[in-house]
Amino acid sequence: MEYQKLKEIDIYPLRDMSYDFLGIHLENPFILAAAPSTDNLDMVRRAFEMGWAGAILKTTSVEGNRVDLAYPMMSTFDHEGRKLFGMGNIDLISERHIDEIEHDVKVLKKEFPEKMVAASIMAGRKEDWQSLVERLEKAGADLIECSFSCPQGNIGEDPGKMLAQSLSATELTARWVKEATKKIPVSIKITPHVTDIVEVARAVKRSGCDALTASNSIQALMGIDIRSFSPYPNVGGKSTYSGMTGPAIKPITLRTIAEIARNVDIPILGTGGASTWSDAVEFMAVGAGVVELCTVVMHYGFRVIDDLKSGMSHYLEEMNFSSPAVLVGKALPNIVMHDDLQRKKIRSHINKKLCIACDLCYVACRDGGHMAIDQKPSRVPHVEWERCVGCGLCQHVCPVESCIEMHIMA
Amino acid sequence: MAACPTHINVPKFISMIRTDNIIGAAEVVKTSNALANTCGKICPEEVFCQSVCTRGKQDSPIQIRELHFFATQQEAKKGFSATKIFPASGKNVAVIGAGPAGLGCAFELSKLGYHVDVYDAQKPGGVPRKSIPLFRLAPRELESDTKFLSGFFATKKCLVDSKTFERIHREHDATFLAVGLGRDRLLGIAGEKLKGVLPVLQFLEKAKTAPSKMNVGKKVVIVGGGNVSLDAAATAKRLGAESVVLIYRRGEKEMRVWKGELDEARRQGVEIRFLINPVSILGKNKVAGIKCMRTRLGKQKDKTGRPVPVEIKGSDFTIDADTIVIAIGQTIDANWLGDFERKVGGYVKVRENFRTSLHGVFAGGDMIAGEGTIVQSVSHGKYAARAIHDYLSVK
Ligand SMILES: Cc1cc2nc3c(=O)[nH]c(=O)nc-3n(C[C@H](O)[C@H](O)[C@H](O)COP(=O)(O)OP(=O)(O)OC[C@H]3O[C@@H](n4cnc5c(N)ncnc54)[C@H](O)[C@@H]3O)c2cc1C
Ligand SMILES: Cc1cc2nc3c(=O)[nH]c(=O)nc-3n(C[C@H](O)[C@H](O)[C@H](O)COP(=O)(O)O)c2cc1C
Repeated sequence: MEYQKLKEIDIYPLRDMSYDFLGIHLENPFILAAAPSTDNLDMVRRAFEMGWAGAILKTTSVEGNRVDLAYPMMSTFDHEGRKLFGMGNIDLISERHIDEIEHDVKVLKKEFPEKMVAASIMAGRKEDWQSLVERLEKAGADLIECSFSCPQGNIGEDPGKMLAQSLSATELTARWVKEATKKIPVSIKITPHVTDIVEVARAVKRSGCDALTASNSIQALMGIDIRSFSPYPNVGGKSTYSGMTGPAIKPITLRTIAEIARNVDIPILGTGGASTWSDAVEFMAVGAGVVELCTVVMHYGFRVIDDLKSGMSHYLEEMNFSSPAVLVGKALPNIVMHDDLQRKKIRSHINKKLCIACDLCYVACRDGGHMAIDQKPSRVPHVEWERCVGCGLCQHVCPVESCIEMHIMA
Repeated sequence: MAACPTHINVPKFISMIRTDNIIGAAEVVKTSNALANTCGKICPEEVFCQSVCTRGKQDSPIQIRELHFFATQQEAKKGFSATKIFPASGKNVAVIGAGPAGLGCAFELSKLGYHVDVYDAQKPGGVPRKSIPLFRLAPRELESDTKFLSGFFATKKCLVDSKTFERIHREHDATFLAVGLGRDRLLGIAGEKLKGVLPVLQFLEKAKTAPSKMNVGKKVVIVGGGNVSLDAAATAKRLGAESVVLIYRRGEKEMRVWKGELDEARRQGVEIRFLINPVSILGKNKVAGIKCMRTRLGKQKDKTGRPVPVEIKGSDFTIDADTIVIAIGQTIDANWLGDFERKVGGYVKVRENFRTSLHGVFAGGDMIAGEGTIVQSVSHGKYAARAIHDYLSVK
């Protein structure tokens, strides 16, 4: 006998992960970032039903603004067989203008009053920024995110430059937007492509805006076909720089968020490279109040919310944390300047019982460290403590978990 | 056959293992399968999940069962996640038999808010507890599941007969029967009553509960051609037999075995001989050997679609034996089920929604389908519970 699949009855209680951020009540910290996944009413509906706490609708603009897309727009940075380790896009903002997005906001807010429905906007002139904000707030948006960092194309006089790369333009424009709101919070989505991210954050803070979205995709050239010399994505033999997103950019984003959070007192929406619940924990630990995800959804679908929620809830329970909110900034006290790091003598220690004599630490130390690992005829490596400086390279090339550890010398 | 009969959401739990959310993964598995840990250990993945794994089209299937088992074990080690309280429906359902089907049904009924009374002549666990050899399933591996389930319903020790059945049926809003196949089929040949001749369930049960009391001698012959006969053969080897010969009346292709088990038996040194039919068992007070005839596969097919073996005249020969195990199948062991409509083989006949010919009585597991698997039986129980729920919702 074959049976129809049943709808399972949950046997585990709902685990409350709700908290308030920018005065908005959220079911959990997982928000859909402004992207194709949020540019369609049915898709957002489906995501909400599956448990996403909120969505930033894809960046919209005033009617009549030309959005001239080129296809194909996607490319990938594969690493050792893993696809989409980094993802590239040459997408622009939404082709759907304010009339449609205003409608989406209204419908979503009506159907899902408990979800965070945010809208992302981009404009050039003051009156356009302000009319977008006014219309969206009236439609019921919970938050406005301003894209000051679309890496491709731009609206303004300075082609190729993002708004968030100019301190004065950032502060001025952010002020226009904030002025136009009545009650709802405004977040400015910035780029890490600046000399000093802290200065940008300070400019936003001065403008009176409520939060920062940090950050966005990283400008990248996704690759070159080495036979035709056409870059990726191949658009009729030519290409342009992409915005790279996904796991590959996580460390860059972590640094961006941390640097802002350590220096400026402003709420942060984290985005750029988070794929799992533990990535989200890291984002929050360096100062993000919520986490926006995009590439992981484009790769694996809205259903990743199941694991995001489940994994986060088990983690909170294990750590005895009452709410995701307590994570915010937890790692910040541990991020210090290089000068302030301890200067203890440490040495590599190889656990001979775990060692599989693979050669990797030996070669790495020989050619990239301090020639401090000796390999006896048996191939089992041995650390010569006189030569070892404790750099830790061997530990990281070792394929065996906890085989190599760094020991503090007495 | 396709995927998992209990419909475990495989992509979901594997994606959770991938992010190191092992407890979440275990919860996904346990939500769908009442005997999650047991199936994680001994479910024949090659005929279920892994046979349809898409990855197999690219290289080799993902080791789904191993991942599943890893998750349930980790969760058991940490301590079961707290479960929710299900709103009571105010109705009672009886489950007779605490094997995979009965437990699967009782678990699903509990989720639906029913008060469930489970009755079994023995401790819960059915065949996996009584007969499946220790070297394949350790008691603690099954107990991880029965302990988890004991939080949802209680199992009462009770050998059900026609009188108790009537009472149970009367006292409950519905009854689910899952008594399995407790009686060995015999060959019906001379010498089958001799000392040293053991029906397989008896043999396996004894080997499991009192292995030190078993003396199988040097030479053991197993008669049969299914997985159960392979378990018996491997068990005989472990009990110290020098030679274990399994005789089967058809060829290797006709065996109803999981490939992994057959390979394992051979690795253990079990000799498997095909196209041999037992004719009589020899011996005075105690078994001494078995007289057999060679067979060839005839043109005719039986109802299972396999060719009927035909004995070759004058081919008789004898195999010496100190112990003979008869492993040619099982039937229902319950005379008190006399009133129920049956199918060929004596199995209880059910309609699509597990209803028997008796009003308010449902049945599932091996007793309706013949020798099956744990996961199929759990699935029967689960679907039957939904059918019972439908029945009681309109009643
Ligand atoms: C040796 C052997 C090895 C197997 N190995 C595997 C394997 O590796 N993997 C796999 O998936 N499947 C395996 N199977 C098959 C699997 O065990 C069965 O398909 C499954 O147990 C059937 O479940 P069930 O609930 O229908 O019956 P059972 O498991 O037989 O349970 C029936 C229960 O009813 C109780 N009962 C019977 N009569 C009464 C009564 N009158 N009053 C009260 N209680 C009663 C019994 O005590 C028993 O607990 C194996 C079977 C055998 C025999
Ligand atoms: C195809 C694509 C389109 C995007 N469009 C927008 C956009 O319109 N506005 C915006 O602010 N960000 C846009 N983004 C950036 C995402 O919102 C997100 O910040 C970025 O992808 C980094 O997160 P991730 O690593 O989780 O993908 C886009 C990203 C992708 C991949």
